Amino acid sequence: MMSTDNRYRRSQQLFARASKVIPCGIYGHTSPVASLPGEFPYYAAKAKGSHYWDVDGNEYIDYLCGYGPVVLGHQHPEVEAAAAEQQARALCINHPGEIMVELAEHLVSLIDFSAWSVFGKNGSDMTTWAVQVAREYTGRRKILKVTEAYHGMDPWCTPGHAGLIDEDRVHIHEFDWNDLDAFDRLLRTHRNDIAGVILTPFHHPVFKPSVMPAPGFWSHVESACRRDGIVLILDDIRAGFRLDLRGSHKLFGFEPDLICLCKALANGHPLSAALGRQELRVAASRVFLTGSYWNSPPAMAASLACLKIMQRDKTPETLRERGAALMLGLVQAGKKHGYVMHSSGPAAVPFISFADDPSMRRRQRFCAEVTRRGAIFHPHHNWFMSSAHTDEDIGSTLRMADAALVQMHDEGI
Amino acid sequence: MHAVLPCLGALVTHDKSAHQIVGSLKAAIVFRIWGGPAVTIRLANGSAAYERGAARAPSVVLFFFSDRHLNAFFGGNALAIPVPIWGGWRLGLLARFTKLTDRLTAVMDGHPDVLATAEGRALHAQLSLIVAGLGLCPLATGDGPARSALAHAPAGLACFTIEGAQNATVWFDHGPGTCDAGWGSPPRRPDVTIAFADYAIAFSALREEIDTIAAIGAGDIKVTGLVPLAEGVNLAMERLSDYLQT
Repeated sequence: MMSTDNRYRRSQQLFARASKVIPCGIYGHTSPVASLPGEFPYYAAKAKGSHYWDVDGNEYIDYLCGYGPVVLGHQHPEVEAAAAEQQARALCINHPGEIMVELAEHLVSLIDFSAWSVFGKNGSDMTTWAVQVAREYTGRRKILKVTEAYHGMDPWCTPGHAGLIDEDRVHIHEFDWNDLDAFDRLLRTHRNDIAGVILTPFHHPVFKPSVMPAPGFWSHVESACRRDGIVLILDDIRAGFRLDLRGSHKLFGFEPDLICLCKALANGHPLSAALGRQELRVAASRVFLTGSYWNSPPAMAASLACLKIMQRDKTPETLRERGAALMLGLVQAGKKHGYVMHSSGPAAVPFISFADDPSMRRRQRFCAEVTRRGAIFHPHHNWFMSSAHTDEDIGSTLRMADAALVQMHDEGI
Repeated sequence: MHAVLPCLGALVTHDKSAHQIVGSLKAAIVFRIWGGPAVTIRLANGSAAYERGAARAPSVVLFFFSDRHLNAFFGGNALAIPVPIWGGWRLGLLARFTKLTDRLTAVMDGHPDVLATAEGRALHAQLSLIVAGLGLCPLATGDGPARSALAHAPAGLACFTIEGAQNATVWFDHGPGTCDAGWGSPPRRPDVTIAFADYAIAFSALREEIDTIAAIGAGDIKVTGLVPLAEGVNLAMERLSDYLQT
């Protein structure tokens, strides 16, 4: 195996077993391929608050938060109590529970443009369904999206390449983030045939720094969609509720027609949601939507508890403050050791990169060194803050980063 | 042409059968495609060297009507014989060279007698790596899906290598509208390196016989640096089999 020490021995043993019975060993976004093979833990054992432990017993301050869903910290007592209470009554039964109605009412009260809500389990459930609703509502075929934007794993949008046919994306058209000329060209080319535009609130491509919307970007897109009768879908799966409890569009000053939510919705319990305008209500009712576990009450109870805690504690403010402290500290630490480091994206969903690092090796080494010291930093995917991150966590992390940069500097990296 | 023919050098160096076929032959054999490029294979001192362009005083000039014609010839298609537009009377040389290309086809296709030995599998992997790397430039310009995959990949130099093996490195330099590829030491530090742990891993990976994602997780294949470039190059490489099977 590849590790230079025994730090990840158990992880790698499990991976060897997994590789015999599971394609890829670990597939999808948590595959070692996506991070740093041999430099990251592969399997986790437990988590609490802002920390988690891998199967080798290594402890980490968690800046991935389950790749987003954990917004209040792992095993939040109030959320877990709500889920447990619901589960004690029923886990999976023949009908939705009362909690589904309560949650829908609560979400509709949070997202001011919305009149209705539906639920699924994953982000893809909602983005794919939203695209169908846009087509049903408009009677049109085309969907516009941004190049390298992630909207899920269904054929119309998967970043994968295998198992696809050309026809899967015949009606999907892409433009570069912030390139309004390209956007307008697509509008002209496909006039009267564009059903929807699906966008994330800011651009968070994998491997690359995040990019915020340029001034005027959202207002231009919004007005073009209104003018041309195009459904504007906000894919707020990744950032939703971390930036603003009213939906990320509030932060950027526009209003979509549909919003898809998932991460941060139920503090790690499996749940996603889509909400929309009253005008789309009939179209939404016509597009089939279901799943074996989609009515399960515990995740909905967890979500309602999670949302109320975030409102009570003003969680987005906490995330913004802690994230800003972390990223400012990292940039300053870099400067101290002669590195120009860039923080990108909102502070609650941050990402770090180095100047003069086209091969990404410096970033990869930095993240590997900090991870080895006990704070998990992903070199290719944005990070997530949770309200469980304490000032002490941030301080510890910055000391680890400082030590990592000293080592990198000494090695001439 | 620019991907397969360079393999003759490695074949003659590492394969006893090929080395014996060449023996003490001294010749310059030109491959020319109608309306396209020409290359020369120079045989001398028990080795085979690949040169771009046509030699000035060739022993033989073999003419092909198209890329597909040449690919079919190296694919072992008995009907896809080239037209000897010069040196056709040198029957002995042509016969031996045909034996050499037959051997190249056998090694590259992985005929059972080749794959029966560790040496044969290693040679197959090495030649496959050469073809995969050197074939990228023609794909980058001439194949739609490969061009698209590379267009979405960042610019940079990708390097494929087999750890612990000599003469087992191929590189591909990808830039906006430009490409270059070579065999041996790369011209500068690669932006991404794809390193196979040994010949056996390279052999299995290049033949698509292993789960490469799991192999990367296990450290049998190491990808370091600009991962998106490796992904784009890998996607383009997958297109190569379509041409080699023509």
